[in-house]
Amino acid sequence: NSRVPGEHSPSRAGNSRVPGEQSPSLCILADSREICSGPEVLSCLRAVHGLRVQVCSLGTSDYIVSNRLAVDRLLQSELQSPGNRNKLGQRLQRLQGIFERICVIVETDRVRPGETSRCFQRTQYYDGVLSALVQAGVRLLFSSCQEETAALLNDLALLEHRKDAAIQVPTEPEGHQRDILNFYLSIPNLSYGAALNLCHSFGSITAVANSSVPALAAGARLSRPQAEELHRFLRHDFDLQLLPQPQPLPAKRKS
Amino acid sequence: TAGSIVVPYGHVIGNEKWRGSELAQRLQGKVRLIFEDALGLVDFHLSNRTCVLLISEADLVAGDEFKRRLVRFRNASSLRGIVIVEKTQISDQYYLGVQKLVVLELGMVLLPVANQGEASQLIIQLVREQSRDRSSSPFLGGQRAPLAEAAGLRAVQRIPGVGKTKALLLLQRFGSIHRLCNAAIHELEQAVGQTGAQQIYTFLHS
Repeated sequence: NSRVPGEHSPSRAGNSRVPGEQSPSLCILADSREICSGPEVLSCLRAVHGLRVQVCSLGTSDYIVSNRLAVDRLLQSELQSPGNRNKLGQRLQRLQGIFERICVIVETDRVRPGETSRCFQRTQYYDGVLSALVQAGVRLLFSSCQEETAALLNDLALLEHRKDAAIQVPTEPEGHQRDILNFYLSIPNLSYGAALNLCHSFGSITAVANSSVPALAAGARLSRPQAEELHRFLRHDFDLQLLPQPQPLPAKRKS
Repeated sequence: TAGSIVVPYGHVIGNEKWRGSELAQRLQGKVRLIFEDALGLVDFHLSNRTCVLLISEADLVAGDEFKRRLVRFRNASSLRGIVIVEKTQISDQYYLGVQKLVVLELGMVLLPVANQGEASQLIIQLVREQSRDRSSSPFLGGQRAPLAEAAGLRAVQRIPGVGKTKALLLLQRFGSIHRLCNAAIHELEQAVGQTGAQQIYTFLHS
C-alpha cells in the first residue's frame, strides 16, 4: 500500500456531529490550510452562523459550499502582484474543470496590531485580474475581514440550499468507507463532494463502475458532462505503453 | 430602455450624461468613446453583450432609488450587467447590503472602486478583457487533461494492499477499472495470487 499517510483523509478537527445523526444544519467543507490562514472564518461559521464545518484535505479550493459551488478566499494583496498570476490561473482553471460554479472572495488584508493601516494602492494589474475573473464567469465577492467572509460563505450556503444543491450526505466516513472515499478522490476532476456522494449513494465501487451516465449524475449530483467524464474514466482502456518509461519508483510526494 | 445596442469593435458607448465628466475625460484617449443619449439605465456599453452601471457614493447615501434602477435593468435586459460602485469611507456601511442584492439576488457582477478615477481605470481593463480572445484568458479552459493512464494507476493503488507493481499487473490484465470490478475472483487470483485477490474483490464489491 503506497498511499501517503494522511493524504485526503478527513481531519477530525472540530466536528461535533454524532455519527449517523442527520443534522439539519447546513454543511460546508473547508480545506485544512484554512485552520492556519482563516481561523476566524472557521470559528465564525460555527459559532455565529451555526454551520457544520468539516475540515478536510480539499487541495483544490479553500471551501466547498455545495455540490456545485467552490469558493476560494484570496487576500487583496495576492491579486495585486503579478507574481501569483500563474499559480492563480492554474488553480482556477483546475476548479473550472471540477465545479459548475466558482466564487472568489477577495478579502482585505488584515492590519496587524501596531501597524499603520497600509493604504491600498490599486494597480492596473489588479484591475486586469478582476476583469479576467469577471470575463471567465467567476463570481466575485468582496470582504473586509474574516468575519465578513464567514457571513458571505453562510449566505452562499443558504442560497445553494434553496437551489437544492446543499451537501446532504455524511461528510466523515469511517473505516472501510474512508478507503473507498480515497479511491474516489483519486479520480480526475471529481470533487470531494461528489466523492462523498458516491460513497453514500452506491453500495460499492463495482456498483459505480456498472452505472449508466444518468445514474452517476443522479447519485453523485454531477452535471451531465461531469457524469460522462466519470463514466469515460471508469471504462477507459488503459494503455500502459503511454506511462512514462522507465517506471519511476512509487511517488511518496503529494501530487 | 436597457435594450441591446450595437457597439463597434474596440469602442465604448457612453451615456450622454457622462459627457464632459472627469470619468469621461480619463477614458478618452484610452478607449474609443462615443456618446449616445438613449441608453436609459445603462452608463456604458462595453460590447454587444456587456454593459456597466455606475453607482456613486451619492446614490448609495441617497436611499433606495439605485436599487430600483438595478432591479429594473435586471428585469428588462438580457445584457450582462457589471455594476461599479463607489465604496468610500462614507458609503462603506452600505456595501455588504448592496453586494447581497447585486451579486447574490440579482446575479450581476459588482466591483468596488474608491472614486471616479479608479472607475475609469477599471473600465479600461474591462474593455481590454472584452476584446481579448477567450482562449487567451488565464482563468479559462486551456488546461490539458492529465494523462488518464497515470490517474488510473493512482486510483488502482488506492485499493488497500495494492502497490505500484500489483496495480500495473491488474491494469495490464483487465484494461479498465470497469473490467477490473467485474472480474471473477479466480481471474484476480491469476494476476495477483490468492490473498491479494480476495482483498481486492472484497474492496471493490462492498
